[in-house]
Amino acid sequence: MSISNDSSMPPATADLATTWAFLEEGVDHIMTKLQTGVSYSKYMSLYTVAYNYCTSSKINTNNEMGMANRTGANLMGSDLYNNLIRYFVVHLRSLREQTDGSQDEALLRYYATEWDRYTTGANYINRLFTYLNRHWVKRERDEGRKNVYPVYTLSLVQWKNNLFVPIQHKQSKLAGAILRLIEHQRNGETIDQGLVKKVVDSFVSLGLDEADPNKACLDVYKEHFETPFIEATDKYYKKESEAFLNEFTVSEYLKKAEERLREEEDRVDRYLNQQTRKTLISKCEHVLIREHAELMWDSFQNLLDFDKDEDLQRMYALLSRIPEGLEPLRKRFEEHVKKSGMAAVAKLVGEGGTTATESVDPKAYVDALLEVHQKNSETVVRSFRGEAGFVASLDKACRDFVNRNAATGTSNAKSPELLAKHADLLLRKNNKMSEDSDLESALNRVMTLFKYLEDKDVFQSFYSTRLSKRLIHGVSASDESESSMISKLKEACGFEYTTKLQRMFTDMSLSKDLTEAFKERHPDQDISFTIMVLGTNFWPITSAGHDFTIPSEIMPTYNRFVAYYGVKHSGRKLTWLWNYSKNELRTNYLNQKYILMTSSYQMAVLIQYNKHDTLSLQELMTVTSIPQQLLTQVLELLVKAKILINEETEQYDLNPNFKSKKIRVNLNQPIKAEVKTETSEVLKNVDEDRKYAIQATIVRIMKARKTMKNQQLIQEVIAQISHRFTPKITDIKKAIETLLEKEYIERVDGERDTFAYVA
Amino acid sequence: MVVLVTSDNEQFTADKEVVERSVLIKNMLEDVGESDQPIPLPNVSSSVLKKVLEYCEHHRGEPLPAPDADSSQDDTRKRTTDISEWDQKFITVDQEMLFEIILAANYLDIKSLLDVGCKTVANMIKGKTPEEIRKLFNIVNDFTPEEEAQIKKENEWAEDR
Repeated sequence: MSISNDSSMPPATADLATTWAFLEEGVDHIMTKLQTGVSYSKYMSLYTVAYNYCTSSKINTNNEMGMANRTGANLMGSDLYNNLIRYFVVHLRSLREQTDGSQDEALLRYYATEWDRYTTGANYINRLFTYLNRHWVKRERDEGRKNVYPVYTLSLVQWKNNLFVPIQHKQSKLAGAILRLIEHQRNGETIDQGLVKKVVDSFVSLGLDEADPNKACLDVYKEHFETPFIEATDKYYKKESEAFLNEFTVSEYLKKAEERLREEEDRVDRYLNQQTRKTLISKCEHVLIREHAELMWDSFQNLLDFDKDEDLQRMYALLSRIPEGLEPLRKRFEEHVKKSGMAAVAKLVGEGGTTATESVDPKAYVDALLEVHQKNSETVVRSFRGEAGFVASLDKACRDFVNRNAATGTSNAKSPELLAKHADLLLRKNNKMSEDSDLESALNRVMTLFKYLEDKDVFQSFYSTRLSKRLIHGVSASDESESSMISKLKEACGFEYTTKLQRMFTDMSLSKDLTEAFKERHPDQDISFTIMVLGTNFWPITSAGHDFTIPSEIMPTYNRFVAYYGVKHSGRKLTWLWNYSKNELRTNYLNQKYILMTSSYQMAVLIQYNKHDTLSLQELMTVTSIPQQLLTQVLELLVKAKILINEETEQYDLNPNFKSKKIRVNLNQPIKAEVKTETSEVLKNVDEDRKYAIQATIVRIMKARKTMKNQQLIQEVIAQISHRFTPKITDIKKAIETLLEKEYIERVDGERDTFAYVA
Repeated sequence: MVVLVTSDNEQFTADKEVVERSVLIKNMLEDVGESDQPIPLPNVSSSVLKKVLEYCEHHRGEPLPAPDADSSQDDTRKRTTDISEWDQKFITVDQEMLFEIILAANYLDIKSLLDVGCKTVANMIKGKTPEEIRKLFNIVNDFTPEEEAQIKKENEWAEDR
């Protein structure tokens, strides 16, 4: 067979008619009957004939366009090229005629089958005419001639002009058929996706970049498919979403929309060009989400109220896809959290009014706030993927209800106070925490709320007062937990915030060493003596400020220590805080020996009964120098404990029949007045501190800026100080007045409301 | 193994990898598929094919230029007239064989071999006067003196000076 083919191969010198007749027969075989195969010799003879023609140097008699103007060698090829065009045109016309009767899927099938056959064949032809491509076509294109392409591209151009465009001209028969198939699929029917993909891909292949035929160009795909496809999508989903919402709930719709968006993504992957993804998805987002966003926003509260986590997740995910979709949710969420917080505290306070706020239990209060925070912060993580905007809404709402709620009234100091008290209870020995880790996480929860406090200085004051008591009375749960809490505060507010607290610990450990050293120096004391030396500036405590006669029994120890300390730290002034001291006394006047744990005042009173069985109030006042009011309270406690008997007015007898179940009897109960004064004392200190803090801030600012307008200055002060507390404008104005008086700053002449720094 | 048949009906057998240095044969094997059929090469004689196969054998395994090699790469390939030592020795043949090899490389689409051939011709021309070139290639001068003067003027920029 190959030999007969060879024999029919025209010689290298054959004319165009003979050459083309041979080539056309081969081309047609490849384009229409490729499945019957091609032999090597057929292939080689077709290539060789085309090659020979292109390399022949015969002067062409046919009119070669523009030949006369050319320089260099003449290239043969335009005849072959034009004959190829003629062949394609005729071939495609017959293909097209067969589409006249068919439409929809049948049309697509025919089109796809012929497309496959045609492009496969054209690839062969392209290679057989490699020489034509490499020389004549390249030359023509290099010289800027339009509409000359490599043979494969030429075949596509011809397909487009002679088959694709004419069919499309009849009511977009092809694209219409694809769109109807896609609609069927959207309606839930199964379609031949491979078929759709093949046809859609052909649209892409038909795009031609004139400058570079090898470059992909989507103009045909976009014009004939993408644009109508997007329009159809818009229409389809507009209709569907409206109908769906008429019948079903928003929750159902969220599911539906999510599903649809996923399907469309899938569609792109399965049979569309990737470039369509953006347009298609943003169109779907618009129709499915943006068009119904108001409805979603309005349904949001309901989902929150009923903890519909999954629906919230879906709503979040959908709305996050459109611009500005989440903002209304964030606002509503903030409002929701705030309301929940307010309601939780209101429930705790009950209907009790102002008296109830006094008796709010710190733990219950803190727990109520934390519960609201916890629940909503979980919602943020779970349903809103921890998105920063929602975190900000949560924080803002928490800041609102943590600082001002039914329990605080208008006072910003109440929440810091309750939180500090709660922290105190946690850090005390009897906190009932079984594990260290429990305590640690409880402290972390305190910090969660602490973060939201506006007046952190109030917390600081209460906290240091409570801490000082824990340390002095030795009731702290553990040093570790104490220092862990302090480092948490330091982390939150900076080094300055915790300096005093840290100093208190330093004093405690120095005192321990001091006690040891003193004991070593004086090993033979009759009294077991422990001293705490507390720096005046760091401890929120003051001496009682009244007279007190030091009992002679402890006088030697007192003198020894004063002398010892005076030598060790000359120049330091010791103030004795009898109101904070405590003692242990052993009884030896009873059958059972008891150990009485007392305050120094109680000790001073009781020690008198070493010499007397009965003493009058007046006599006791004289020997102890304790003021009457305080002494009465001291005596009251001793009478209540049945150590002393007060049968006659102002007459106190030692009870010879005292009995107690415990060997160690704690008489050192706090005196009522002390409890009451704590809050007001602390707040007074806070006010005082704030005054100085504001003044210091103003001076710092003025020193840096030299001159400043009143309004600007106030803004700046607020900005700098609000991480510790929220200053009142009137306080800032007062501070400015004070500084004017003290001449740290002055008014600028001729300018209203402007101050200058006085160096 | 692939069997090639030359214009003078001689059969050559070579590894597929070797003959596929010809893009023509490579494409055809791809398109038509492999079979035992001999491949006729009506434009190549046995003496030339022998040379061509020697070249392909030596260069087997080297990367082929991409079908649509990007033009910058093309430029560097064209700009240099360097020929490797082996190729130099390989191409040291009489003028007729040289032209036969060039024609075969062009026909079989073996770009690197075509380059070696063309560079060799270019090196032969380099530094020679038109008269010397005419003599070298046996070319009859068919320009009129006016035409020649005109061409000389147009190509003045290329003169070696």
